[in-house]
Amino acid sequence: MMGETHALPEALRPPRLIEGSVTPGSLDDQVLQSTERRPPRAWYLAFTFTASLATLGFLLIGYTVYEGIGVWGNNRPVCWAFDIINFVFWIGIGHAGTLISAILFLFRARWRNAIARFAEAMTIFAVMCAGIFPLIHVGRPWLAFWLLPYPNQRGIWPNFRSPLVWDVFAVSTYFSVSLLFWYLGLMPDIASMRDRTKNRFLKVVYAVLCLGWRGSASHWRHFDKAYLLLAGIATGLVLSVHSVVSFDFAVSLLPGWHMTIFPPYFVVGAIFAGFAMVVIALAVMRAAMGFSNLITMNHFDVMNKVILAMACIMGYAYLMEGFTAWYSMNPYVHHTFAAYVWGTYWWLGWLTLACNVLIPQLLWVPRFRRSFPVMIFVALAVTAGMWLERFVIIVSSLHQDFLPAAWHTYMPTLVDFGILLGSFGLFFTLVLLFARVLPVIATSEMKTILPGAQPAREKAAGGGPHE
Amino acid sequence: MSEESGTRIFAVVGLFDGARQLVDAIPRVRALNLGRIEAYTPHPIHGIDEALGLRKSPVAGMVLVMGIVGAIAALVLQGWCNAVDYPTVTGGKVLFSWQAFVPIMFELMVLFASFTAGFGMLILLNRLPVFRHPMLLSRSMASITRDKLALAIETRIGEKGAAEIDLDAAREALLASGAESVEVVPFPEPLGPVSSRFVTRAFLTIAVACLVSGFAMYWGVKLFPVLPPMIHMETQPRLDAQAESSYFKDGAGMRPPVAGTVARGHLPYAIKTQDEAAVLSNPLPRTEPVLRRGKKVFENHCGVCHGALGDGVTTLTAAYGAKAANLLTQAFRDYPDGKIYHVIMRGKNAMPSYAADIPEDDRWAVIHYVRALERAQNATDEDLNR
Repeated sequence: MMGETHALPEALRPPRLIEGSVTPGSLDDQVLQSTERRPPRAWYLAFTFTASLATLGFLLIGYTVYEGIGVWGNNRPVCWAFDIINFVFWIGIGHAGTLISAILFLFRARWRNAIARFAEAMTIFAVMCAGIFPLIHVGRPWLAFWLLPYPNQRGIWPNFRSPLVWDVFAVSTYFSVSLLFWYLGLMPDIASMRDRTKNRFLKVVYAVLCLGWRGSASHWRHFDKAYLLLAGIATGLVLSVHSVVSFDFAVSLLPGWHMTIFPPYFVVGAIFAGFAMVVIALAVMRAAMGFSNLITMNHFDVMNKVILAMACIMGYAYLMEGFTAWYSMNPYVHHTFAAYVWGTYWWLGWLTLACNVLIPQLLWVPRFRRSFPVMIFVALAVTAGMWLERFVIIVSSLHQDFLPAAWHTYMPTLVDFGILLGSFGLFFTLVLLFARVLPVIATSEMKTILPGAQPAREKAAGGGPHE
Repeated sequence: MSEESGTRIFAVVGLFDGARQLVDAIPRVRALNLGRIEAYTPHPIHGIDEALGLRKSPVAGMVLVMGIVGAIAALVLQGWCNAVDYPTVTGGKVLFSWQAFVPIMFELMVLFASFTAGFGMLILLNRLPVFRHPMLLSRSMASITRDKLALAIETRIGEKGAAEIDLDAAREALLASGAESVEVVPFPEPLGPVSSRFVTRAFLTIAVACLVSGFAMYWGVKLFPVLPPMIHMETQPRLDAQAESSYFKDGAGMRPPVAGTVARGHLPYAIKTQDEAAVLSNPLPRTEPVLRRGKKVFENHCGVCHGALGDGVTTLTAAYGAKAANLLTQAFRDYPDGKIYHVIMRGKNAMPSYAADIPEDDRWAVIHYVRALERAQNATDEDLNR
């Protein structure tokens, strides 16, 4: 298609993914030098702020473990609240990273190459934040290993028919595979860092980390294939993980949770929230580190289109929830759905709808998809909206159960909010550290899309299998 | 490989400026057949493995096999745990409810498959980690991981085990096919703190340390299950039944009920003598369920002394010292129901009260059953005519 590109109308031409002239060498200089220089003052300020938040969160977690989870607002019948809301929220944030790195890799969407590394790192940090919450929810986190099937003196095994045990396997597999995927992608970049650095100590560290990667063609042959396979595997995995998370709800018999739409609805919501977070973090990173030539407005434009599409699917899912409630002819399901709309927490339900469906409609306007203030406003709304959505699903469905005598209006405590803030602190602390320690853009992957990198592909000018 | 000759040569390496030049050079250098050739590139280049004559990567097959192994392992693990070793019925389903095992089968399939793709590729196929590979110590390496591409003509091992390479011919061939510069890369001195063996040993040590600490943890929990913080709710701010408490004036932890409290099913029974009780009448109808209930109560509580038929043929030995009444006699057949009720409530002679053991409805049900026994055991020939 290369020769015909210029004959195509503007809208059909592949968007420019790189601005100005970038060569493999200049790419390395630009991306890898951020790990070699001292961070700017703004970085220290941001780090101090996020690390303080994280510290606050961990102190409050310590207080929770010492005093017991009675310091949270949870009480019957709302036994799941902030802890599980935050868990589902953070796991969802992680899904965008895997989507970008795996699914878009399979689709050969070349714009993913510039942002995949950063999004994958966000996946790993988000899953770390998510993992904290079920752990502290069990009250005695040092016994969490009881969830694993290990031979024990009690002679008993976990109940493998429980969605909570599925969750343990799904999330730990997700974390291991994401970490592996991220690490494999990093290896060639760490090899570049090894060969650049003048620091003898760091040279040894990098050499060990990249396992002595030397870029030989016989290695690339296996590496490329394995990376492709991993992308395929991770695609199935990313769809399964949030489905399994949704089984925690859907497999129960509670009205408002017991719905077949939950798995796809959760997966879409996860990708939606994750993309919003990627847009926010990427916009900040791009400006702070000066990568505007590598991460262009075209990248943001595509991501905003994904957000818009997801917002429309979310709107459909909300409508289907109402339809399912009406069609069920079940008074309990009617009651739960009515609680979303005009119950105790009615304003949260409407706020969710506004944040997740209405505000993202702004992105239909091409100018807004390329405007940072608008896209960050939308992304913040989506992030808040997706958190509120989990609040509505969990708390609104639980707070009025089958026995009216047991109804209870849930109110979170300051400790609940503190731990939530702490998880944001931990997430951004890790992102900030990552941005200074490892290359935030996958240089070896970027090199494959620079002009002249793939002679075989360019020779097949009639349109190769990939383009 | 030759033993003494000063420095042994690993390969002659030519650096190329772009992928195009490298791809063009490969068939030309390969045709000269100077030794095994290998390319080194900063990023994967499609089609280069065919040009170099490399076989297709077997990683897909490995991943497929290990994925299937993972799924089967998960099915066996879950089935064995929940259906064989510790059978648990959940939701009234069969023990081997494989449908519920599918999510974990999927997850373990993914885990096995991706670890095979990652670690199998790195360790088994690519033989990494290698930290003192000749190429890593070459001058060219810094350019290769940056923006240059390299083609290496490696030393061949000759028939007598001697290394063979024609340095001049190799250098000539590389320059003629477009290489910018050529470097002769020797084998490194076998030394250095971070040798491959050192790293392998370090990893092994870490693995052994993990195993040892894991077992230590396991046995620790097993041998000292109730040391803090593993106190497992052993100590709780809680009062056990009958325990004392300084909180109340009488020192007792349990509180007596408020005066005049009547427990459900325990209405006070004020009648003192058997004769006074004669006026009580049986409130239950004489239906089959009542008689069945009465039979069960009789067999549980009465039959052991009064005999299964109520005839006083006891299963107790003489050592018991008391002889239970034969309920089939005329004296008992003439008793009004209330008098039997009174005996159940208050006991008689050696018989203790059964008020605490037999609830109200069961008392009247058992009286119906005693009546049935009396009638059945005193049947006459005329009854056959009915």
